[in-house]
Amino acid sequence: MRKVETVITDYISRELVQDPALLPLANETSLLTSGIIDSLSLLRLVVFLEERFGITMGDADLLPENFASVNTICAYVRAREPGKQTAAHE
Amino acid sequence: MAYLLQRLLTEAAARQPQRPAVASDGCLLTYQELDRLSNKVARALLRLGVAPGDRVGILAPKSAAAVIAVYGTLKAGACYVPLDPKAPAERLSHIVRDSGAAVIVADEARTSQAAGLADGVPQVVVVGVPGRPGVEEPAAAPAQGAAIVPWAAVAGESAEPLPEELAIETDLAYILYTSGSTGTPKGVMISHRNSLTFVEWAVAAAGLSEQDRVCSPAPLHFDLSVFDVFASCQAAACLTVLPDGAATFPVSIARWLEAERISVWYSVPSVLTLLACYGNLRQFDLSGLRTVIFAGEVFPPKHLAQLMAELPRPRYLNWYGPTETNVCTAFEMPAGWAEARPAPIGKACANTEVFAVTGEGRRVTEPGEEGELYVRGPSLMRGYWGQPAKTSEVLVRDPFRAESGELVYRTGDLVALEPDGNYAYLGRRDGMVKIRGYRVELGEVEAALYRHPAIQEVAVLPVPDELLGSRLRAVITADGAGNLTRENVLDHCRQWLPSYMVPDIIEFREVLPRTSTGKVDRVSLAHDQHELEPAGDGRPNKR
Repeated sequence: MRKVETVITDYISRELVQDPALLPLANETSLLTSGIIDSLSLLRLVVFLEERFGITMGDADLLPENFASVNTICAYVRAREPGKQTAAHE
Repeated sequence: MAYLLQRLLTEAAARQPQRPAVASDGCLLTYQELDRLSNKVARALLRLGVAPGDRVGILAPKSAAAVIAVYGTLKAGACYVPLDPKAPAERLSHIVRDSGAAVIVADEARTSQAAGLADGVPQVVVVGVPGRPGVEEPAAAPAQGAAIVPWAAVAGESAEPLPEELAIETDLAYILYTSGSTGTPKGVMISHRNSLTFVEWAVAAAGLSEQDRVCSPAPLHFDLSVFDVFASCQAAACLTVLPDGAATFPVSIARWLEAERISVWYSVPSVLTLLACYGNLRQFDLSGLRTVIFAGEVFPPKHLAQLMAELPRPRYLNWYGPTETNVCTAFEMPAGWAEARPAPIGKACANTEVFAVTGEGRRVTEPGEEGELYVRGPSLMRGYWGQPAKTSEVLVRDPFRAESGELVYRTGDLVALEPDGNYAYLGRRDGMVKIRGYRVELGEVEAALYRHPAIQEVAVLPVPDELLGSRLRAVITADGAGNLTRENVLDHCRQWLPSYMVPDIIEFREVLPRTSTGKVDRVSLAHDQHELEPAGDGRPNKR
């Protein structure tokens, strides 16, 4: 199984980055100040993360701190992958 | 009564000189300041030889500088053409060339981008905001001989009122470029009178006053911006700009609405759906918000009901109207609305008549009857810029009053009359879809794909999506070699199309299915799509 970082970096590089000058994407690159994540691409990313990792993202999760970089997204996903959740999302 | 849009500003400045006019990114302009700064821009434009009727491109996101540029352009008697800073250079160059813009006005951060676009446009005028040093541009920015008039020079112009009005009410105030089915965007020409018909109605309908803080996240090239840029001014209310940084995350939007005490909000439904699903609205004090207006696409009823339940206090207004007509119908949501059907688009606005025409050419009079919606009145566009043939397809003789000689607009939207006289929106007659409220002609996306040398045939189809309105699916047949990848196709699209028009789903096929008449069989293609859709699709289904 590929590393979570690789899966997420691949997806963002392939689907969300509009400006090729931003590639290759480093794990700590700011996805917000670079404009890679805007309101439209955020939704696509949420859909992807929910489907790929079997997680459910709620109100309290759609925050800048969770989407600041590939690293922060990975940390978020790891904390919520099925089996690691304390409060059960339906 | 004002008969030119810029009069809204001079009158507001005379009446309420010290009231806030624009709050943007920590910068606050009073009506007096906005009035005087726009006089300077108008003089700079006149000094460059801009004459009444000329087109002036404006390259800036919505901001204090952009609003100064809009009013400065109008005061010079010219017509503004918004240029979306995020659109691909190819598309912007086309709009600049097509409109014949004589000058581009840009904010300080976009001077180089403007100079790059100014292929054949000799001049770029820079607009800044006093007391806020902008981004320093390298001195050697000019490209292709474009002459740049820096903000320092513009700021040195006189701020006194211009001696005379340089336009009349039937002159063009702005041209808004919208997706065109034959592959290039078309420019919708709106005169001062067309716009003021909407603005005056909108101020009354929303009950705007100088106490209001108005926000619409729609960019300048989207006709929703006419409301916050001009209606706010008529009421001497404060136009507030949602900062880019706050616009991305629903919770940040909600936090910003609370902090800025926004009282009137106007946007496409998708932003409000996000707020309802992910905005954690109950956590915030949004008691200042008294009116929420949405337009541009159908609001999914489930999310509208959810929003109204989370935030029961404001009035909710559904406004309808293509760019070509301005808003032409409106419906106020009854409190506690929880119906499963979409909100009706309502009844005609003041000074406007709407009627529906059946497939047999009869006027719809009975509840339950369906037909295409037509619009009549002073808010209708003057036509498509430089495209008389296209104009005459949609601006047609009134079918029931041919002798009047008056033109009416065929919307292409199918509606049904309801028992209470409201109209309900049913769908489109043609290949136009809405994505986050933006109009997208499938033909324009197909034309962009055909520019790729390896693509032989293509069909672009909408895939319904609760949040975005639609997503786009491109079905492609490519040249023998077969090494065209999805990434190649996406990269190609991004050169020609704004991001909302780039297809999400790219599908390669050996051949496209055909109907008996040899046309691409879109119905059968649309049927196949169900197999493609990932289950669940991740759309918000919370609560």
